[in-house]
Amino acid sequence: MELSHASISPLHTAALRRRALSNALWYALLILIAAGMVLPFLWMFLTSFKGPNDVIFSVPPQLIPKDPTFANYVRVWNNLPLPNFFLNSIVVAGTTVIFNVLITSLAAYPFAKMKFRGRDAIFYGLLALYIVPVQLTYIPSYVLAVKVFHYYNHISALIFPSLANVFNIFLMRQAFKSVPDDLIDAGRVDGASELRIWWDILLPVVRPSLATVAIITFVNQWNDFLWPSLMLQSMDRKTLTVGLLALQGMFSSDFRGVAAGVTMTVIPILVFFVALQKYFVRGLTGAVKG
Amino acid sequence: MRTKVLALLMLISFILAACAAPAAQPPPPTSAPVVQTQLVVQTQVIEKLVTPTPGPNPEAVIEGVEPNAEISLWTFYLSPWFDDYIKSTIARFEATYPGVKVNWEDHQATFLQDYRNAMAAGTAPDVANLSDTEGWVREFAAQGKLLSMSDNLPQSVIDQYFPGLFNLQTVGGKSYQVPWYQAIAIELINHQIYDKTGLKVEDFPKKYEDLPALCKTIKEKTGTLCDIRLTVTDLLRDMAYQGGVKVMSDDGKKFTFDSPEAVAWLQMYVDMVKNNLVDRNALMTTDDRVGLELFTSGHAAFYQTGPQLIRTVRTDNPGLYGYLDVAPLPDGKSGKTAPTSMAMSVKADTKYPKAALALAVFFTNPISQLEFAKIVSIYPSTPASYDDPFFSAKPVAIEDYAKPLAKELISKQADIMPEIPQPKDVNEIVLQAVQSALFGGVNPQKALTDAVNKANALIGQ
Amino acid sequence: MPRKSALTPYLFLAPALIAIAVFVLYPIFAVVYYSFTDFDISTPPVWVGLKNYQHLFSEPLFGQALLHSFIYLIATPILIILSIALAIIVNRKLPGINFFRGLYYIPAISGSIAVGIIWRWLFDAQGGLLNGVLMWLGAIKEPVQWLTEPALTLPIAISLTVWMGVGYYMMVFLAGLQNIPEDLYDAAMIDGCNSWQKHLHVSIPGLRPQITLVAVISSLAAIEVYNEILVLFGQLGGILNSGVTMVFYLWREAFRLNHAGYASAIAIVLLVITLGFSILNMRLLERGSESD
Repeated sequence: MELSHASISPLHTAALRRRALSNALWYALLILIAAGMVLPFLWMFLTSFKGPNDVIFSVPPQLIPKDPTFANYVRVWNNLPLPNFFLNSIVVAGTTVIFNVLITSLAAYPFAKMKFRGRDAIFYGLLALYIVPVQLTYIPSYVLAVKVFHYYNHISALIFPSLANVFNIFLMRQAFKSVPDDLIDAGRVDGASELRIWWDILLPVVRPSLATVAIITFVNQWNDFLWPSLMLQSMDRKTLTVGLLALQGMFSSDFRGVAAGVTMTVIPILVFFVALQKYFVRGLTGAVKG
Repeated sequence: MRTKVLALLMLISFILAACAAPAAQPPPPTSAPVVQTQLVVQTQVIEKLVTPTPGPNPEAVIEGVEPNAEISLWTFYLSPWFDDYIKSTIARFEATYPGVKVNWEDHQATFLQDYRNAMAAGTAPDVANLSDTEGWVREFAAQGKLLSMSDNLPQSVIDQYFPGLFNLQTVGGKSYQVPWYQAIAIELINHQIYDKTGLKVEDFPKKYEDLPALCKTIKEKTGTLCDIRLTVTDLLRDMAYQGGVKVMSDDGKKFTFDSPEAVAWLQMYVDMVKNNLVDRNALMTTDDRVGLELFTSGHAAFYQTGPQLIRTVRTDNPGLYGYLDVAPLPDGKSGKTAPTSMAMSVKADTKYPKAALALAVFFTNPISQLEFAKIVSIYPSTPASYDDPFFSAKPVAIEDYAKPLAKELISKQADIMPEIPQPKDVNEIVLQAVQSALFGGVNPQKALTDAVNKANALIGQ
Repeated sequence: MPRKSALTPYLFLAPALIAIAVFVLYPIFAVVYYSFTDFDISTPPVWVGLKNYQHLFSEPLFGQALLHSFIYLIATPILIILSIALAIIVNRKLPGINFFRGLYYIPAISGSIAVGIIWRWLFDAQGGLLNGVLMWLGAIKEPVQWLTEPALTLPIAISLTVWMGVGYYMMVFLAGLQNIPEDLYDAAMIDGCNSWQKHLHVSIPGLRPQITLVAVISSLAAIEVYNEILVLFGQLGGILNSGVTMVFYLWREAFRLNHAGYASAIAIVLLVITLGFSILNMRLLERGSESD
């Protein structure tokens, strides 16, 4: 009896070979799809290094530059305030997130855990407002920005309208609802004020949801285009999205310049994403569950 | 506890960053002694050129400039290439009118949108470099947003400009701009592609209606498309100059741009699009950079532009520069040239009208324009500038080809367009009609007649 | 011992409610008012009654904008199908699978403007990669002017939206797939389903909440599309207005032509449409959760 040996029967080999083949096929498919996703970026990245004598269009297409140069990057850097674009986007998105998360989670607490007159009426009122497409608010907001708040051409114009939104209130309300009442009651028995309870007890418990809301808000604010394009006039006050369009306008048919500019803006975002990938994924899936 | 402090610090830093208003422009140079030396030199030259005006500085032609005025200036697509020139002119201005401070911004592809937004917001610059060619002056003058130059400038100042240019884009018979630098439109030719047609530069069409035939030859022999641009923001202007079309009745009450001449003009473009002879993107773009860049990247046989933009070719595609040649613009049926003109305008509700007027007039006076002409191939709108030996010198580089002829050519530039009520809306109607004929297969006559009816209805006829 | 005062809930709500009142509630009333006026933002509005609405319904461009926005909705089913397929493909324990998942997410994370610019150059007549590849393969003889062909405007824009969205929604469906209990799959296998049927009968029903969510988000985004049109086709919105969607039309009328009153009427119509959509979605949501 030789059962103690790890003998490989012919059936097992066949199964292994089938598994290897199917794996190989899966990898092939994955790589094919990856090519479709990444090729345009790769093309733009490589084109950004082409000098004036390196043709962009040829049959067959020639991706790799023959004579790589940094000249396009220098040209874009000299003509556009890219660091300002980044800084403005970061400040706008960061500030918005901090205030928005605080304000919406403040508002979510009473909806989730308190009883008061008008609670349902206000809640359903907010639900109704959720339907309003944001573009509708732009005309009056424009008038407000110019004539009332006087923050036209300033990044405050991007932050104030985004201080609170219904979606985030809903998300945080869901999160608070799942917190056991005993925790809150314990706090009240101890004589803590509601604000203390909110800050010290509730917020730490719903931290994953806070992260979700923060990430969604950050990404939305970062990628916002139409409103910033209406508000931000001066080149050095533009955010990244608006600045990118200005890049396209300035370099129009100069593809090498455009490619360099786009590459310079996409790479930091990718680096940032890779670093925080875990939180992004959790944020997305959290939104679904919430 | 530590995280709380950290969060609080982050919060504070974000608030500070968000609330801080960034200083956008560096302060202009204040090297006073150097400037005074310049003034002394120029005083000697000035005595020959400009009629003597009262005051210690011959360039200070506006009286009653508000003390300690702070005014803003926007230029169009001049930075960073002409930063030094603008800054030095501003410095000279501030020395001429002591106490006045100028804040300068340059806007580019989004200039018109930015200016419109700023006007609506009440934050428009006091002085702006508007394009006559693109019809911007008329757009804002018609809305009452610009200061009338005819009413607010002394006659001696008005006389320093070519009359045909001072009276561009008038509204109600008054001018709302002072003309700045002019371009002479020429046809830039790329020998690399053009020579393959077998034609010589002298054979370049002399008339607009001969362009389609050239484009057909270019397409056949070289496979490239023609790089022709329609002024989509002012199609009636193209119609008038190129096609000799009378767009309005003499009494200014009815539109007439569905005449046989107009149909012939439109048909010319319809045929070119139908036979796939032109690059559609360049044809319909709102940004004239697109057509220029198409030429600069070596994809077009010719492009209609000004010699001053040849420098773009020199910087962006030096290899092409050696293959460049210049041909005169084909004549439109109107026999007149459209002025390719940049201007300075002052906004109507400026807090410092005298200072703003002074700046506009300063930038456009003969000395400033001469200095500008010396660094790039643009042409002054002031006859006095041409007395300088710079203009009688023989042309060396291809950009200078038009220098000796400039004064005569520019004095012939004239505005043959009538004053059109509600120009933006009318042009939008024409644009839709032209598009429907070019790309939608609508019969040109029908498209234009429908547009005329719509436009007449709009102005209440 | 501080007691909760009756004011406390309202104090908590106050910042959010004030912000929403100023930036969402007030604008609704303002837009309704503006829609009955002639208004160019810089001068005070002038009451004109129903003129804007009359113009709206007689203006062919409005019908076109409406049509284009509805055509754009086809992006939603395309996105759902492709994202689910992609999620199924990457939902396996192969070494390095996380690398591929991250890769597919890149178009979603790079921002619509950056990606839009890349897409615009891909389709460029003179320098685009698409023309180069097609000519090399012999599929076309001369460069095609993709971006100036009216019939291709919306398809190209939709393809951009799909390409950008597929990685994003893939993650959503992936999370959903990983929540489906293994036993359901085992039961299906015992019943004799092959892998295709497995997905049809287990995965897709199991993904219903995610499908609903994605359908809602992406259909609202499709109705309100703007960025893609501007980046790909410029301020004209495509040759012959072939890319003009509702929001693009609103923007052009309000901020390029300064007809803010007319644009407000467009905004009200947009509101009615999204209201209709939301009611529809809510019905679907109810029906969906009923059958769970």
